[in-house]
Amino acid sequence: MRKILALVLTLAFALSACGQAGGGGGTLRIGWAGSPDTLNPGAAVLAEAYTIFELVYDSMYELNLDGSFSLAVAESVDRSADGLVYTYKIHKGIKFHDGKPMTAKDIKFTFDFYQAHEDFPYLNSYTAYIESTEAPDDYTVVVTLSEAIPNIESQLVYMYILPEHIWAEHAEGAAATEFENFEMIGTGPFQVVEYKQNEFIHLKANKDHFLQPPKVGEVIFQTFESQDVLVQAIKSGQVDMITEMPATAVETLKSDPNIKVVTGAPFAPGVSDIIFNQIDPENCPTEDGGLCTGHPALRDRNVRLALAQATDKQKLIDVVLLGYGAPGLTLIPDGLGMWFNNKIEDYAFDVAEANRILDEGGYMDADGDGIRDMPDGSQSLTFRMHWPSDSIDAPRMAEMLSEMWLKVGVKSELQAIDPDALTAECCPAFDFDVILWGWGSDPDPSLLLGVHTTAEIPTGYNETGYSNPEFDDLYDQQATELDLQKRIALVHQMQQIAFDDVVYIIPYYEQAIQAYRVDRFSGWLIDFPKVELSDTSSLVVVEAVE
Amino acid sequence: MKRWRYLLGKIGWAFFTILFVLILNFFLFRVLPGDPARAGVHDPRLKKEAIEAIRVRFGLDKPVINCFESLNPIKIGSCDVNPLDTQFFIYVKNLLQGEMGISYHSNRPVVDILAERLWNTILLIGAGQILAILIGVVFGMFAAWKARTSIDYGALIISLVAWSLPTFWLGIILLFWGSNNGLPIGGMQTPGMSSQPFLVRAGDIARHMFLPTLTYTIVYMGEYMLIMRSSLLDVLSEDYILTAKAKGLSMFQVLKDHALKNAMLPLVTVIAINLGFTMAGAVQIETVFSWPGLGLAIYEAVNRRDFPVLQGAFLLIAIAVILSNLIADLMYSYLDPRVHTD
Repeated sequence: MRKILALVLTLAFALSACGQAGGGGGTLRIGWAGSPDTLNPGAAVLAEAYTIFELVYDSMYELNLDGSFSLAVAESVDRSADGLVYTYKIHKGIKFHDGKPMTAKDIKFTFDFYQAHEDFPYLNSYTAYIESTEAPDDYTVVVTLSEAIPNIESQLVYMYILPEHIWAEHAEGAAATEFENFEMIGTGPFQVVEYKQNEFIHLKANKDHFLQPPKVGEVIFQTFESQDVLVQAIKSGQVDMITEMPATAVETLKSDPNIKVVTGAPFAPGVSDIIFNQIDPENCPTEDGGLCTGHPALRDRNVRLALAQATDKQKLIDVVLLGYGAPGLTLIPDGLGMWFNNKIEDYAFDVAEANRILDEGGYMDADGDGIRDMPDGSQSLTFRMHWPSDSIDAPRMAEMLSEMWLKVGVKSELQAIDPDALTAECCPAFDFDVILWGWGSDPDPSLLLGVHTTAEIPTGYNETGYSNPEFDDLYDQQATELDLQKRIALVHQMQQIAFDDVVYIIPYYEQAIQAYRVDRFSGWLIDFPKVELSDTSSLVVVEAVE
Repeated sequence: MKRWRYLLGKIGWAFFTILFVLILNFFLFRVLPGDPARAGVHDPRLKKEAIEAIRVRFGLDKPVINCFESLNPIKIGSCDVNPLDTQFFIYVKNLLQGEMGISYHSNRPVVDILAERLWNTILLIGAGQILAILIGVVFGMFAAWKARTSIDYGALIISLVAWSLPTFWLGIILLFWGSNNGLPIGGMQTPGMSSQPFLVRAGDIARHMFLPTLTYTIVYMGEYMLIMRSSLLDVLSEDYILTAKAKGLSMFQVLKDHALKNAMLPLVTVIAINLGFTMAGAVQIETVFSWPGLGLAIYEAVNRRDFPVLQGAFLLIAIAVILSNLIADLMYSYLDPRVHTD
């Protein structure tokens, strides 16, 4: 009996080892350390879910790796003179993965669906400016806006077109978010074969795609629980590409001739920030739970400036990111392309100058304990420094910052805090001094600029309490400026203002680090300002190496 | 009669413990700081209205519990609310209907998620336990038989080391070793195998199971071996063993027919209790090897503040622990009739 079992097992081993042939074009295996929270676009929050949506669904526009937009399901667009009505002509002959035709009615259904559901965490917010969507015939969509906005592309780019014949019965109430959507019928270049939550998602090429049918046969995203395991998986050839990895592993992987490591600005813009509680007590949103217990010294721009000059960003990059980052300027990261103001000149790292600024401001060490005190001697410059306990980089950064700032006589009390508790003390409570945190964002700069506005203080998105009427005016202007060049100029000006006022210290813009096996697939798009190997643009052009 | 009363008493206690866990489970997660509707999401796109809508959908807008003025003087909870419209009552009502709610994170029914994960854990733990027991018992017997020889000391050192190895660390080491030897290091199957014949799929799962099972086996066999060895040594010093030896029986016969049964007694208890606890104890192994089991589900749910999944998983584990304790009690009373006369 035992012998038979052993034989069966051996046989099974042998069979499984050779039974992995994919379809025509080969099977590309991608390893990542996350997985979608849900395949339902309405309910999804995690970036991993959006990576899959980009592959399986189409939308009106496509975001390119250089940060520009191009039309996707629409052949052409016509904008009315007042900028309120957009008329899209839709490609003919687009089919859903189940063979049914995609028409303008599906698009109208989709836009209405996203708009009707306030409980959709993200997609609903992109419908904020849409007055109505109409489909006068099968290949025309008319979108009417409530306000002329300059960035309709970034509003529509994530509005994935869903098939009405499947979603209509899930359109109402809680059913809309509870629909599991495991089959994920869309029109995109890839379609779902099999999905196992938190294990893998198995896609196959939609060779009939109207724009660019993929060259590979199948793509599999497999979840590994840690980045270190990902490194091991690509080294041993169990995956062909990894979407993330620890910086510590870069040197090891670079020495492997079969592996190419790619670094650059991330496709999905994100930014780390050092938040100063600088809210004016007059602006304290007490009705929304504002406590406003911040250290008064942080309301003084000179103190923030001194801290900025006492911060050695390059050292932070070298230690925390092992060099894979660029010094940061404002909340608008380099990954936002043309919106990023690269003409801002950063404050020099200069401890002597920082000390001089503080001396001049009257922040002297009155009691001789080595820590500076307020000019009126009421309290010392001792700041609470908090960060979310799930952050990997923040503890190291906090240690280093506290040493750097101690050199100018500023003391920090370090503490990691549960992310939700941090949200509670942050904003709009303003019950903190310094927080190390960050933002994820859109390709459009409006979102991150909005974080600086007075209007967002009570909502809790303005996390510094910064309030500058000039900035608020410019924000409103750029939100309706239809001329691209003029809008860019406004956005750049706003970054200069935020920088001059030292609203934040942005320690760095972190780079994305990805890697692929050169002996398996070729043709990856790596010569772009942004790095994202799992983006549709790369996955439709890569080819198996023979 | 005594035996029945003993039995009923034990079962009654088990029932009350489960009931207690059920209630504790609910409040345990609600005293955690933070708001599950945001789940740590820090993004300006997540508007206030959306957060509010999410709260309503999951019933988080309702008061946790009615204050029961007469019962609690400090008035926890809100008083002007229908007790039937509190989160606690809805939780209890759902449980009675076999519902564990909807996961905040994935919007799927918790029952579905746990059902998928439970079998994966049972597969992994089952294989690991069986191997650990077999190896542990055999080595323990061997060590006790060859007591105070170099074989005994060798086995003793190996099992002490194995028992005290940090699970996480051992897993990582085996993972590195395995990945250099062509073994899969993550997940429980190769994606895209679902159309293959059963045998091929079973073989694929077996390959994926190899490393996590090995880790599990090494960690637990040490414990079993140590218990087996010391308990057998105890038994071997009894007079009736001397008698057996005097009758001229071979050492093998003495062990097999006279010593083993009595020596197994403490081991049975430990195994039964371990079985309950390891349902949750596989968190580390499942995390290292990305094994989609209950442990990994708990790990992920903690990170995401997914209360319904945590409640469900904790309830499941509590039931497993309580049941295995009950089984241990019952087996003990069967193996050793003196137990229930106390």
